[in-house]
Amino acid sequence: MLVLRRRAGEAIVLGGDIEIEVMEISRTRVKLGVRAPRDVSVTRKEVVALAAENRKASDLLPNRGPQGVGELLRLLRNNPGEKSKTLAHAADK
Amino acid sequence: MAVSEIIRSPHLGNIEWSPGCELYLPMGLPGFEDERRMIPVEVPAQRPLVFLQSLETVGTCFVSLPVRAIFPGFQLRLSEEDRLTLLFDPERELAIGADVLCLALLVPLENTVQANVDAPVVINLHNRRCLQSLPEERVDGYYRLAEGGIWEPVC
Repeated sequence: MLVLRRRAGEAIVLGGDIEIEVMEISRTRVKLGVRAPRDVSVTRKEVVALAAENRKASDLLPNRGPQGVGELLRLLRNNPGEKSKTLAHAADK
Repeated sequence: MAVSEIIRSPHLGNIEWSPGCELYLPMGLPGFEDERRMIPVEVPAQRPLVFLQSLETVGTCFVSLPVRAIFPGFQLRLSEEDRLTLLFDPERELAIGADVLCLALLVPLENTVQANVDAPVVINLHNRRCLQSLPEERVDGYYRLAEGGIWEPVC
C-alpha cells in the first residue's frame, strides 16, 4: 500500500482526474473532499459491503418463495413487532 | 378518495396501493441505487413481516421486520446527513413509531435469516422519505433468527 502524509488543504490525485482533498482534521476524524468524473462511484467502504448484503436480501423472496416465508412466520409467530398504520396491503396469497 | 393503483408483483401477487403509501428514496438503497420508489406492504397473514416492494422493478422486493421486533433495545442513530436527507430538523428528537419506522432487511443465511440492525431502512412517517442508515461504527451488529423465534446476536 502506498502511504502518503498530507495536511489539511492538501490533496492527492488518482489517475489524473480524481482529486481527494483533506479538508479538515479533528482528533478522531478526517474530512475528505472528492472531485471525480460523474461516472465514478464514490462511497464509504462499509456501504460496498452493505450493497452486497442488500443483493442477498433481495434474493430471499425469489429463492425461498411463499413456503420459505411461511417457515419464517412459523418462527416469528410470537414476535409481534412495531406497528405502522401507513402500509399498503396485499391480499393474502 | 385517493386513486388506487395496482402493481403485479411476481412474489406477492396484485398489490393495490395509493400514492399516499409510496416511499421516496432519494438515493435508493446501497446496491439498488435506481430503486427510488417503493411501497411497504403488509400481508395480513404474514404479519409482522413488512415487504418493501419496488415500484421501479416489479421483481425487486425485500422482506423486512421492524427493528425492535428483532432487538427491543434498538436506538436510532441518524447522522446529520441522514437527517437532512429525510428532511428532519437536526435538533428534533425522533420517536420510533411516531416519526420514523425502522425496518431491518432480512438476509438469507443457510436455513434461516439474519438482520443487520445497524443498517435499518428508516422511513420518515411525516413525508415518506426513506433511506438506509449506516453508522460509522458497528453498534448492535447482526442478529440471526433461531428456533422459537428467538433472535440471537451473531458474534
